[in-house]
Amino acid sequence: MTPARQVDVRGPRFGAWITTVVLAVVLLTGSGWLLAVQAVVFAVGAFAGLRYAPYGVLFRVLVAPRLGPATEREDEAPPRFAQLVGFGLALVGTLGYLAGAPLVGAVATGLALVAALLNAAAGFCLGCELYLLARRARPAVRP
Amino acid sequence: MDATGALVLGLALLVAGVAAWWLRTRSGAVRTTGAGVSELEVLRSLGVRPEDADLTVVQFATAFCAPCRATKARLEQLRTSHPGLAAVHVDAESQLEAVRALDVRRTPTLFYLDRSGALLGRSSGAPRPDELRALVAAHAPATGAV
Repeated sequence: MTPARQVDVRGPRFGAWITTVVLAVVLLTGSGWLLAVQAVVFAVGAFAGLRYAPYGVLFRVLVAPRLGPATEREDEAPPRFAQLVGFGLALVGTLGYLAGAPLVGAVATGLALVAALLNAAAGFCLGCELYLLARRARPAVRP
Repeated sequence: MDATGALVLGLALLVAGVAAWWLRTRSGAVRTTGAGVSELEVLRSLGVRPEDADLTVVQFATAFCAPCRATKARLEQLRTSHPGLAAVHVDAESQLEAVRALDVRRTPTLFYLDRSGALLGRSSGAPRPDELRALVAAHAPATGAV
């Protein structure tokens, strides 16, 4: 049996704060390229794993040593799924901005910002909670 | 400065604030519901047997739900001091029919049943520790309690 990969709970929260700030700057500047960078950050966390997520690395190298050892750890799957949701929104937003539909870009970025801010400030993972609603809406894949 | 973006940013902050407030007031609170006959039937079809314990807590969870894991650990801990408590964990994703029938929208969603099979209430979001402890203490007294 391989144990599920665990992360310090403070890591994803820290990352969510940075994400919130980056997305706010995207909205204020209307920069599709900055959003593209954030989309890549999401993609690394979602597809390669949180150990490689840029903000997670930043947390481990710069922040965690100053905070002391982790008191609480959690399974990687929920925050990783959240990164995937963020990636989807950032991808739509980037395409919107770069294809000349700034409203699409702004709305997708705004939705991602709501999710990131709720995660950062309240520890609430919107994508994780909506996962079941999305699954419910479709017929079951398995018999 | 992008005016549309600034407007969306303002709206996003407002939505996040309202959502945080709603979660603080509603999430995890145990609600009593109406006649629970059909709920009991659905839960029974999942293998829930309320007659085996003083209080049966059924949790619907998914793999992507961090609060579900915390809630499961909390229930297991309560079970060590409250032998009359039973906890059943249902993988919501593999029981979508029951999920629809019970109108489970979020995970974790918990159902609380007494020994007679009466539905005491349900809650969505991680239950509040104090409320959960009080509910368990009221229906499944701790070992050694008078």
